[in-house]
Amino acid sequence: MEKVGAVMVVGAGIGGSQTSLDLGDSGYRVYLIESTTSIGGVMAQLDKTFPTNDCAMCIVSPKLVETGRHQNIDLSINCEILDVSGEAGNFTVKVKKKSLYINPDICTGCGVCGRNCPVEAIDIFNEGIARYAATFVKYPQAVPLVYAINKECCIGCGVCAGVCKAKAVEYEREDEEVDINVGSIVLAPGFDEFIPQQANKYGYGKYKNVVTSIEFERILSASGPYAGRVLRPSDGDIPEKVAFLQCIGSRDYTGEGQPYCSSVCCMYTAKEAVIAHEHQHEVKPTIFSMDIRAYGKDFDKYIIRAQEEYGIRYIRSRISSITEVSETKDLKLRYETEDGKVIEEDYNMVVLGVGLNPPDDAKYLAEKFGIELNEFGFAKTDVFNPVQTSRPGIFACGAFSQPKDIPETVTQASAAAGCVHQILYEKRGTLITEKTLPPEIFVAGQPPRIGVFVCHCGINIGGYVDVPEVTRYASTLPNVVMADRNLYTCSADTQGIIKEKIEEYHLNRVIVASCTPRTHEPLFQETIREAGLNRYLFQMANIRDQCSWVHMKQPEEATQKAKDLVRMAVNKARRLAPIDRIKLEVTQKSMVIGGGISGMVAALNFASQEIETHLVEKETELGGFAKHIYHTLEGGDVQAYLKDLIEQVKSNKFVHVYTNAEIESLDGYIGNFKTSVIHGPKKERAEFDHGAVIVATGAKEYKPKEFLYGQYKNVVLQSELEELLNTDSVIKNKKSVVMIQCVGSRNDEHPYCSKMCCTEAIKNALLVKKLYPSTEVTILFRDIRTYGFKEKYYRKAREEGIIFLRYDEDNPPEIITEDSSLNVKVKTAKAGDLSIPTDLLVLSAGIVASHEENEELAKMLKVPLNDDNFYLEAHVKLRPVDFATEGIFVAGLAHCPKTIEDSISQANAAVSRACTILSKDEIEVEGKTAVIDMSRCIGCGMCVENCAYNAIELIEDRHFGLVASINQALCKGCGACSGNCRCSAIDILGFTSEQIYSMITARL
Amino acid sequence: MTETVLEEKKIDEKWEPKIIAFLCNWCSYAGADLAGVSRIQYPPNIRIVRVPCSGRVNPYFIIKSLVDGWDGVVVSGCHPGDCHYISGNLVARRRFAILKELLEFFGIEPGRVNFMWASAAEGERFAVLIRKVTKIVKELGPNTKFQKEWC
Amino acid sequence: MGIETDNKEIISSIRENAKLLLSENQVDVIIGYSEGTVPLSSTPIIIRKEEDVDKLIWNNLCYINLARYLAPLMPQLCDSEGNSLKIGIVAKGCVGRAVNLLAVEKQIDLDNIKMIGFNCNGIVNRSKIDLEIGEKEILDVSISGDDIIVKGHNWEKKFPYDQYINELCKVCQIKSPSATDANCIGECQELESIHDEFSDIAEFESKSADEKWAYIKDALQVCTLCYSCRQACPMCYCNLCFVDQNMPTWFGKTTQFTDIFTFHLIRAQHLAGRCVACGACSSVCPVGIDLNIITRKLEKIAKERFDYTSGLNAETIPPMMDFKMEDEEEFMLEED
Repeated sequence: MEKVGAVMVVGAGIGGSQTSLDLGDSGYRVYLIESTTSIGGVMAQLDKTFPTNDCAMCIVSPKLVETGRHQNIDLSINCEILDVSGEAGNFTVKVKKKSLYINPDICTGCGVCGRNCPVEAIDIFNEGIARYAATFVKYPQAVPLVYAINKECCIGCGVCAGVCKAKAVEYEREDEEVDINVGSIVLAPGFDEFIPQQANKYGYGKYKNVVTSIEFERILSASGPYAGRVLRPSDGDIPEKVAFLQCIGSRDYTGEGQPYCSSVCCMYTAKEAVIAHEHQHEVKPTIFSMDIRAYGKDFDKYIIRAQEEYGIRYIRSRISSITEVSETKDLKLRYETEDGKVIEEDYNMVVLGVGLNPPDDAKYLAEKFGIELNEFGFAKTDVFNPVQTSRPGIFACGAFSQPKDIPETVTQASAAAGCVHQILYEKRGTLITEKTLPPEIFVAGQPPRIGVFVCHCGINIGGYVDVPEVTRYASTLPNVVMADRNLYTCSADTQGIIKEKIEEYHLNRVIVASCTPRTHEPLFQETIREAGLNRYLFQMANIRDQCSWVHMKQPEEATQKAKDLVRMAVNKARRLAPIDRIKLEVTQKSMVIGGGISGMVAALNFASQEIETHLVEKETELGGFAKHIYHTLEGGDVQAYLKDLIEQVKSNKFVHVYTNAEIESLDGYIGNFKTSVIHGPKKERAEFDHGAVIVATGAKEYKPKEFLYGQYKNVVLQSELEELLNTDSVIKNKKSVVMIQCVGSRNDEHPYCSKMCCTEAIKNALLVKKLYPSTEVTILFRDIRTYGFKEKYYRKAREEGIIFLRYDEDNPPEIITEDSSLNVKVKTAKAGDLSIPTDLLVLSAGIVASHEENEELAKMLKVPLNDDNFYLEAHVKLRPVDFATEGIFVAGLAHCPKTIEDSISQANAAVSRACTILSKDEIEVEGKTAVIDMSRCIGCGMCVENCAYNAIELIEDRHFGLVASINQALCKGCGACSGNCRCSAIDILGFTSEQIYSMITARL
Repeated sequence: MTETVLEEKKIDEKWEPKIIAFLCNWCSYAGADLAGVSRIQYPPNIRIVRVPCSGRVNPYFIIKSLVDGWDGVVVSGCHPGDCHYISGNLVARRRFAILKELLEFFGIEPGRVNFMWASAAEGERFAVLIRKVTKIVKELGPNTKFQKEWC
Repeated sequence: MGIETDNKEIISSIRENAKLLLSENQVDVIIGYSEGTVPLSSTPIIIRKEEDVDKLIWNNLCYINLARYLAPLMPQLCDSEGNSLKIGIVAKGCVGRAVNLLAVEKQIDLDNIKMIGFNCNGIVNRSKIDLEIGEKEILDVSISGDDIIVKGHNWEKKFPYDQYINELCKVCQIKSPSATDANCIGECQELESIHDEFSDIAEFESKSADEKWAYIKDALQVCTLCYSCRQACPMCYCNLCFVDQNMPTWFGKTTQFTDIFTFHLIRAQHLAGRCVACGACSSVCPVGIDLNIITRKLEKIAKERFDYTSGLNAETIPPMMDFKMEDEEEFMLEED
């Protein structure tokens, strides 16, 4: 069967959106199918995100808008999958597009219908806490912004059809079935939260002041039901004592919940507690948890801050029961402390940290798509390719395969896109349509001829602002040659009118006075471009969101303000100039630094797409960190996998391997790098050009100075134990093996969790038990962090009789030596002081990054490191594999401690990100960048220091001497440089000083 | 005499300040939009100028606004850590800190120039802070210190 | 004893070091101070030969910050190709600060600069003396012991130095250049930080907005916008000053108070964290405006807000080039 250059992505949360954007940017047609009525998924419901407390809406909304208007992404909402046939390369999917009862092509999202709807229905987005109408959007910033009628509540009164000036309401509108032909499918349906209805010991649903964490998230949100104030549902009082209970429906063997760990609850609970306290200082949170699983990048620091700066109390216990105090509606919690005391305490409010379940329709999806689910009901994936489902050509990413947080989801989303490339790369660019546009009209030197279109937006503007008066006023302003008003300026027919007027009046600047440029500017820019005007000869005046809607009771003032805003827009428009998008040629080759698993996976992915790749390894041998790992916890054979990778890399004609290699120089920028490498025993020099860089330099195992390591042969590291277990029987006669966790992790020197040591310890402990059942194994830990499905092995280890004892950071174990025997003295939380004789002490050493090596490379690449010397990505939530500097990506341990699975995902993700560049002959970069007036620049270098993107460097100009120079390929046009420039030598196209000046001076 | 005083006072009560607001595109401008979508009402005194980032806002813009007769200035960006451009708001914050101190040192009423953070989700906060700024500037009265004195 | 003796010692050390630098060919030229042509003045001089070192002087009227001539580099300090010569520069503490900061701002290459350091004993506040003498013609100024003696036709007036020293010099803690021996001959010191309470401007800062405004208005309204302050400033080295910029022309250049005020306000903004507190701006002001209070405020902002003192070394970037997540933001508007 002929392969098809299109991909279907199912689920438009943050994962599905990322996959779609990656694929859309790489030249595939993408069909993004969403079951609800808007995209964004759970992330759009969140208030803040850990560990940076970033505002979720601020960071996700630009991405959603981009997804919504991407020319290669066909977004369909309110859909259902009916049938899937075909095979990898060519699938046909039958999709039912369920009717919204409102025509999405006509609906402008103005919201008049919802405001006039007499029937109140429950609002899903606010988790049932706020009320909304039967005609609804999920949330105010929804993409796409079209309304839908909830037929279950609708009484058919006809009010909405009556008030809709766009005539978009179509009660009789029917469902539609379509067949979509695609080459590959990515499933990203996310998860559904555990709803503790059955687990009534928490009183959820019975006691008003017991809420789930996702409900609490809406309470915290500024756009939520209480506008961000922390209030308890029963009486709207500020709750002082708030208890957060962890593992609700997770790590639960009773059958009520799920046996696995939901991975994200420890962190989101800490975040919710911190934010609650930040919003309302009266709130004093207490968190009840078994282990604190803060295993991700910079997570532990967050927990420490939560405790030390925000005074959040942690109690290690699982609550056994909750009862309501009927007079106060407070909640009585009963719990047992670690040392066995039973305590009763009253709290004003309880938040249940609910776990992540597979999506409710997981079974349905699995059946339709013909993929297997695992024992927990999630998508079953391959050990060494965590996005590959059981059916070739179909991939799964995000929480659908295992509970995971946002950056892991985003990484996997890109990884899935990276794997799609391997199947469909020859078909890139075959199904996307390039619009043919008329040549641009030359406007330079002509006096401005401005056309102003004022929008009524139904009654949204027209009901409060005197639109005819604003239009009349606009026509009196200098250089305005026509002013007109429209019922809906954004409607399809008005686009035709705008084009006609441009021609009729020879307009060379266009202003639309309507809603917000954030959502509508691209539409109008496209319209004027179709009429032959440069996109940037357009300006908007926001007279709805920032005028008529916020001054509904002051029509006179609102009209005056609208006039002012139009005048300011006219002033700016007079100064508008065409901006050209710059095209850069791309060298369609890549360089991967580091020949460990991440590096090799990345190189092979590139190679499978016939992209020539230079793989640079500083050691003599390929293999990296994994050389010392034999199996994964789940039983994957790492050595066999590694051997296979190395052979493939060495034999692939698209991969050039340089070992013993050192990068001598690295210059250039996105699409156009030039590198020189010294390699091999003879120190040969190799020089090559490439369009992207992947940093996969790995990390090292910590070499402990503590616990007599190196002094006694009976003290070994986990990696050494693994080698012994897999190669000889030295430990055959050992009576007692003691393992100490967090050696060189979570301390002052390395204040982060190394993520894999708990897993490694349990893996090796289980193997010891399997080989030598009579050997006693004790694990001394601070928290056992077997997140996700790894929890299963923690339980297994306990069932096998492995002893787990918790110690506090302040009371670390001590080793007492007598002749050759070792005794571990430890103060445990449960059993007090213990002394454990051992004949083999195993240290779970953490993962450390080399300061010297990483810093040297980081300087060369001009990318940052974090405090722990790991590479710092562009954004910890939404750009986990990108650097701020474009064209450079990170994968594997270089980024932070992670498992082999995660490294493989990230490597494929990095390839996908790189392919958004390398799949093109040339890339177009945003024209709204900084520009330098060299005659004014004095080369002080302030802009260089202030630029977050390394887009500015000082160059020696023949004529002007030392001056700043902007690399427009890297510049994002933020203007941080220009805001500080004393000489006004830098200006920002699209927001030039003259344009802003002219708006300021439009005061009147 | 008393009558004229009263009359002057009447005019004062009627007087409405004009305030210019420079909002970053990604957070504060979005926050202002959200206030609109949520129909949160605030006084109609501000005129919004969209800029890509608070880092774009040169002190020239602020001073020029005062010289040009705006009665108050607001600059609003993303909360620290939320900046769409990674650190533009942090660069801006130092610049604003200095300007704010200098203005105060030179005897300009502190309420004339205001800096704030508002996120894309904080429609309510945006409205609350704009109400506050409007109140502050209204109490300060017209911006006279920057007025040209033609004699 | 006293100022007179100090100056003599300083002069001999400057000459000795200058001679050494020239004789060993460590530098091609030396820029220093020489006697001015009129009383109560000094004038910069460039010497190239050993025998000219005796033209170098130091007195308490050497208010020019010689670093001013380094950026942009004056033609006399360049070779025929326009490249920098090896320059020796007579450096009081604030010249040293300017040299360091100019190096940070990439305006000069320290390899070409050798400072001739000494312990500065301060600058006389010339306008304060001018004011007391009034219209009378001055024929001679000399320093005797701790007094400045000003002579005219049939009159002589004694000014005790400690009462007529520049306000900035009274609080100055960086009397000699903060530099290493590699960049400096003579007196220098390696300062990491200084302690300053800024008590001298506490009184002004405690005034009400209207009182401050009244003071500033009174002080600045005589300004003729001659830009002498800018021209004397070692850190005002822009090709095109903001007041001269057009497209757009942000600020006016009339002597309307608004234009005067915005000039000084923006100039202060531009010098925040960069001002080296040499006081040259005030010393050169033809209408005697005391800008030192602004200078001290700029020092205070840099120190208290960003823990930074300009020009202590040639590496640390000034606060406006830098930012921190934890910067103070007490001035941000918050909900009540």
